[in-house]
Amino acid sequence: MFKRNFRQDNAMAYTMLLPILALLTIFVIIPFVYSLYVSFYNWSFYQESTFVGFRNYYLVLTDDVFGKSVWIGLKFTLMVVPCTLILSFLFANIIKNIGPKMGSFVKTAIYIPTIISGIVASVIFVFIYDYTGGLANYLLGLFGVEPKAWLADVGSALPSIAAPAVWLGFGITSLIMLAGLYDIPESYYEAAELEGAGAFKKMWYITIPLMRNIVLYLLVTGFTANISQYELSLVMTGGGPLDATTTPNLYIFNHFRNDVMVGNSIAASLLLFVVLGAISAIIFRVLNSEKAVDG
Amino acid sequence: MQAQTKKSLAVLVTAPMILSLALTACGGGSNNGSNAGPSQSAASSPSGSASASAPANAPSGEPVTIEVWANKFEDTTSEWFKKWTDEFNKSQSNVKVNLTIVPGDAWAQKMKAAQAAGKAPDVWTISYNGVANSAKLGEIQALNDLMDQTVFDDLYDNMKDFVAVGDKYYAYPWLVEPSTVLYYRKDMFQEAGLDPEKPPATWDELLADAEALTKKGVFGFSTAQTAAEIGWSSWGLQYNAAGHLPITDDWSKADLADEGFKKLVSFYQQAYQSGSMPKQALAGYTDAKPFGEGKIAMMANGSWAIGQIRNDYKDIVDKVGVAPMPTIDGNPNNTTATLGGWSLAVDGKSKHPKEAASYIQYLLAGDPNVVLDYFRGAQFSKFTPRKSVDEAMASDPEASKDAVRAMIAEKIVPYSKPEPIYPWDISLAFATAIESAMKGTDVDKALDKAEKDINDFITKNKTAGTNPKMQ
Repeated sequence: MFKRNFRQDNAMAYTMLLPILALLTIFVIIPFVYSLYVSFYNWSFYQESTFVGFRNYYLVLTDDVFGKSVWIGLKFTLMVVPCTLILSFLFANIIKNIGPKMGSFVKTAIYIPTIISGIVASVIFVFIYDYTGGLANYLLGLFGVEPKAWLADVGSALPSIAAPAVWLGFGITSLIMLAGLYDIPESYYEAAELEGAGAFKKMWYITIPLMRNIVLYLLVTGFTANISQYELSLVMTGGGPLDATTTPNLYIFNHFRNDVMVGNSIAASLLLFVVLGAISAIIFRVLNSEKAVDG
Repeated sequence: MQAQTKKSLAVLVTAPMILSLALTACGGGSNNGSNAGPSQSAASSPSGSASASAPANAPSGEPVTIEVWANKFEDTTSEWFKKWTDEFNKSQSNVKVNLTIVPGDAWAQKMKAAQAAGKAPDVWTISYNGVANSAKLGEIQALNDLMDQTVFDDLYDNMKDFVAVGDKYYAYPWLVEPSTVLYYRKDMFQEAGLDPEKPPATWDELLADAEALTKKGVFGFSTAQTAAEIGWSSWGLQYNAAGHLPITDDWSKADLADEGFKKLVSFYQQAYQSGSMPKQALAGYTDAKPFGEGKIAMMANGSWAIGQIRNDYKDIVDKVGVAPMPTIDGNPNNTTATLGGWSLAVDGKSKHPKEAASYIQYLLAGDPNVVLDYFRGAQFSKFTPRKSVDEAMASDPEASKDAVRAMIAEKIVPYSKPEPIYPWDISLAFATAIESAMKGTDVDKALDKAEKDINDFITKNKTAGTNPKMQ
């Protein structure tokens, strides 16, 4: 009896899984296996592809620019993700504590950047950073400061590109944080208040620990999304000045566009996949995920 | 029970794999037909569609469809393309051309994606520096058997070399244009106390003039300032500086020892660091907008910029002076520019090469008036590779009295060199030396790094002896 029921359940479950399994196979597994295969070839669209073993990987790994681009991707992520998380955590708290009417207006307002495409945002920020006519240099001019070459200076280019990334990611992160805040039962705070805990203690001992899973989720998605960012630098700087904004994906993209053979870009993509996987694994290990005490 | 679960799992995992393999196989097969169908998905649904669709040689009455991709240049160029493609379609009933204008920054990825999918267009625009390599890789096919031999006799001898590999022609040239010309504002020269009829002739004079012309809101000089743009716009100046490019002719090693390269790099460095150039480019190298708006007093730009100035900034046309780019030593017979330009080629996998070539023949190699219309739209800022078009142009009243055109034709084009065809990475390595010197790196160090990068590239990619022009 038990056995039969069990099997029926299984069949149902597999049937339900089938569509997504099929889609994953077509769009993820097969392309992935195929790209592994192609990465060992000098892949040309017009001539016979030739087997070259690990040569593509060797070329990528010995290319200084690739190593540098991974480092730039990390730096970029370390600028964007903490900034976004802290800002949106503070902002979510503000939204939670203002009235529902005002709250829903603010929620809509901060969500707008999320639906703007990265390309459009880049173009807007290119105008802002314009050397002679841009808003940023106009504001500097009000204080009598010389115009700054925001996107052409090696030192300021990457932070200048990080700013629109924060702006783009801020809205959705705040809303997810807000959902997390609403998920914490009010009774915890009431109990803490009875015990005489202040706002800071409540934040430190209740809010932050209970937000752990939210933060973990945002960290992992934020890390992967930002380290694979490329359209901001593609549009705003083209990867320059002197490769200072060439993120790993832009490196791959440039090779895809310029190289005669495609194997190099595929090898680089697979290596980036390894880097991303390693980083996500480290985050999971450090912020050991566990179920919240209360559902 | 466990064994059973495993078995059903295995079935579940393999079933979609087989299914999708079948799907992809189906999709691949449907490509064998002509691309007359509106989309691949529509063609792949009935199993026999491949054999049912139009055969390679279309019967009479059923026109062959040719896909053509053209790079987006000036608006006038796109209009010209559309106009004469329509004319071509109207002029006969055997070939129907579908023209797509592709923006330059989307070109490379769009083309790669199409090539990977086996859906590359039949005819596409290709710049001269890409012809030899594409021919070597089989991306484009020889036109000798597809077009009348006589159309190649109409080309100037040096132009034949632009599209030839061995004894075959792989593209038909459309236009040539020098990459580097100096534009300057005569009125600003006067205000700064400089002689408007005496543009700078050496790099030192240029630097001095630029400093004199710089004032609030106006920069004395502008040229390319990111490695990607310096890479190609400085080829002419590299020839100028050293008489050769920074790599040996057989592509076996870097050739950077010349003192001239050092001077070239420090020329860029001084122009940038003196403040005569904006610290961040106001626009891309090919765009004359900041110059047209009066934010720049002297501009290095290609010959095409005069077309933009004449079309968009009519009020300053009279105040614009045009001169050859200054040279390292003031010798006016030095190379200051490379001749870039575009041609049309037939894709190596085109199913209808003959029909594709007939379009190229109509557009570029036939009646001189068709291309003449293009040169007129470009305000005669470009040059033709064909003798017969030049003759037709000589009788055109506007072209014949155009002083700028005459100056470029007499003083720049004869000394210009063709663009190099070696891999872009090498140009980029040298340009990176220039950019890093502009941003503060020592000139010698920057050049040492370029030399190392070029040699590394050569070793890793085994480029020694692969120059298609030397084989």
